[in-house]
Amino acid sequence: MVVTWASKRLNRAVKWTSDRSEAFVSDAHGRDHVTTAELALDKNGKFLAMRVGTTANLGAYLSTFSSCIPTILYATLLAGQYKTPAIYCEVTAVFTNTVPVDAYRGAGRPEATYVVERLVETAARELKLDPVELRRRNFITEFPYQTPVALCYDTGNYEATLGAALKIGDVAGFKERREQSLRRGKLRGLGYACYIEACGIAPSNVAGSLGARAGLFEAGEIRVHPTGTVTVFTGSHSHGQGHETTFAQVVAERLGLGMEQVEVVHGDTSKILFGMGTYGSRSLAVGGTAIVKALDKVIAKGKKIAAHLLEASEGDIEYERGLFKVAGTDKQKSFGEVAFAAYVPHNYPLDKLEPGLNENAFYDPTNFTFPAGSYVCEVEVDRETGATQVVSFTAVDDFGKIINPMIVEGQVHGGLTQGIGQALTENCMYDADGQLLSGTLSDYAIPRATDVPLFKIDTRETACTHNPLGVKGCGEAGAIGAPAAEMNAITDALGVKDLPMPATAQNVWRAMHTR
Amino acid sequence: MHAFQYHRPASAKDALALAGQKSEGRYLAGGQSLVQAMKLRLSSPTDLIDLGTIRELAGIKVSGGSVEIGAMTRHAEVASSAEIKKTIASLAAMAALIGDRQVRHMGTIGGSLANSDPAADYPAAVLALNGTITTNKRKVPGDQFFKGLYETALEPGELITSVTFQVPKRGAYMKFRNPASRFALVGVYVADFGSGNVRVGVTGAGASAFRQTEMEKALSAKFAPEAVASIKVKPDGLNNDLHASPEYRAHLITVMAKRAVEQALK
Repeated sequence: MVVTWASKRLNRAVKWTSDRSEAFVSDAHGRDHVTTAELALDKNGKFLAMRVGTTANLGAYLSTFSSCIPTILYATLLAGQYKTPAIYCEVTAVFTNTVPVDAYRGAGRPEATYVVERLVETAARELKLDPVELRRRNFITEFPYQTPVALCYDTGNYEATLGAALKIGDVAGFKERREQSLRRGKLRGLGYACYIEACGIAPSNVAGSLGARAGLFEAGEIRVHPTGTVTVFTGSHSHGQGHETTFAQVVAERLGLGMEQVEVVHGDTSKILFGMGTYGSRSLAVGGTAIVKALDKVIAKGKKIAAHLLEASEGDIEYERGLFKVAGTDKQKSFGEVAFAAYVPHNYPLDKLEPGLNENAFYDPTNFTFPAGSYVCEVEVDRETGATQVVSFTAVDDFGKIINPMIVEGQVHGGLTQGIGQALTENCMYDADGQLLSGTLSDYAIPRATDVPLFKIDTRETACTHNPLGVKGCGEAGAIGAPAAEMNAITDALGVKDLPMPATAQNVWRAMHTR
Repeated sequence: MHAFQYHRPASAKDALALAGQKSEGRYLAGGQSLVQAMKLRLSSPTDLIDLGTIRELAGIKVSGGSVEIGAMTRHAEVASSAEIKKTIASLAAMAALIGDRQVRHMGTIGGSLANSDPAADYPAAVLALNGTITTNKRKVPGDQFFKGLYETALEPGELITSVTFQVPKRGAYMKFRNPASRFALVGVYVADFGSGNVRVGVTGAGASAFRQTEMEKALSAKFAPEAVASIKVKPDGLNNDLHASPEYRAHLITVMAKRAVEQALK
């Protein structure tokens, strides 16, 4: 607002840069819940009901998404991967004198996963059941599944990800590793987290009825050039997520072009359609689908042009790997020839068809997508200092169809590291006078490469049923599942029921000494 | 950062003369603390007197039972010095643990000591290795050098020229790192000079580095981990911040001392 005002006053462009110190005292915080949770089970270990009471800090005033994070992005996720028939959640949101608490990778879903997975693990320990077995007894196995907390899961296979994680994480060998650690003066613990995520908030009319003041669609435009190359305009911004690669792959594959023939433009509101942006791991599921819809229109128009050029009926034209073909014949026109004809319409059905090959589409999803996965974390705790090292972390995720495995792997690595940071090191601390103590990177401990192990990751696929790419989203998963797995492992190592995050060396040392 | 005048004298004499003229000036050694403080506007000297090109202030000399290190010697040079590895291996190992690679190639021993950061590593070495700080005016015994939080015995304009360490029979430094800054939350340097003469320097735990005399007595009687393992350090007066309470720091002093002795005996 100030920059806009200054720009109007000065009648020139004004740029504002926040320095690190300013960011520390003014950037929104994340999480900050205090929760009490209860789980009722029958004698066979089947979940009967869950009751959750949460006090959520919103900071001094409401920020962009503040109020929806501890409510509709939190309570609706409390079914997790389980058939819990009755779930009650009461959230008391409070104003305090901290910086506003707002969306932070996962936004509500890590908090929900933490509650469910810490609760399930605790139940297993208290009932002396294998935490894997307890989860298996309660997994949702039939889809679509209507949860008691509003969401309807379209698809999933939770046994597949859990089974794979157990193997990759060599859970069978844990007992022996625990013995080895003990001989070195270290306490070893193992923890699981089976998370569910809801990506691509939708549809707009439902969100609107819940108080959202914006649409939740995404826009895509395909501009085919006379040379047959393509520029893709997307309303979903890429700030490191690799849209330039993934979206180009989607377009190149659908059109049968080379990657180098596709350019992706994002982030410039003077060029692109009115879009909604990148959030909630939605870019591919929502933005990618808008692009696919625009591509369908391009191909449909291309068929009309090709039919004219090939003197065939439109219904006989097939599009395959960059070629418009007359079915059952060897007559064909390349994508480039059709594009050229569209812009140099000398032989063209001008009476029936506009020249040019440029289509756009808007996509408003009918439902969320539901990525899910199983994480297994192993930690070693130094008995003398309380220092905790994550010695093994296995993550098996179901993100639906995967377009670019390397980008997905990068997202998982980043998410897991962020989740481990939340569990082990990161903390916004104020003193009694409201002075921020963690105001520099010398005091606010972000996780470093040495704080995380070499991740063991894999994927299992169940395709999303309601978007044409079958994709679900992968941007936040790691940060959603990691804290619960991490804290389940630490409490296992220490033999304590609960421990607040972050489990810094000092906090762990205290827990060992007050046991 | 506020504006300042930059000077690059060619000799220690020129540096001292400049310091005499610029009352609000500061010597710039490796700049790994001072420049950061200036960027945060915690420090705003009118003049920076860069010692970086004064060759007479850098270098390593081993003679008899001591090692003399020039004030402008970088941590990386100490860490990789064959002479230091041969005489006081634990000092080279300690220097290799300071900051990160970039810091070690810029930061200097003289700058670190003059700054007396409560969490710096070198002060523990000066105390444990019976160090002497030589300035343009005098020789200050290490035991009398550290006066408190960022406070030393140095007078305005006084320039450290070198630091001399006594070579121990064996020794080791153990550091428990602050999870954010990676400075020493607690660092303990144990040095055994033989004939019942053991010195223990502690950094990170107090306003400035200090000797742990109870442990020195115990280790002088028997240089073994178990001699210190059961010593309960009193938390009174130790640093208290968001990363560690005085009680936790007191506990870590014992653990780090024990591990340093174990390491020294290896």
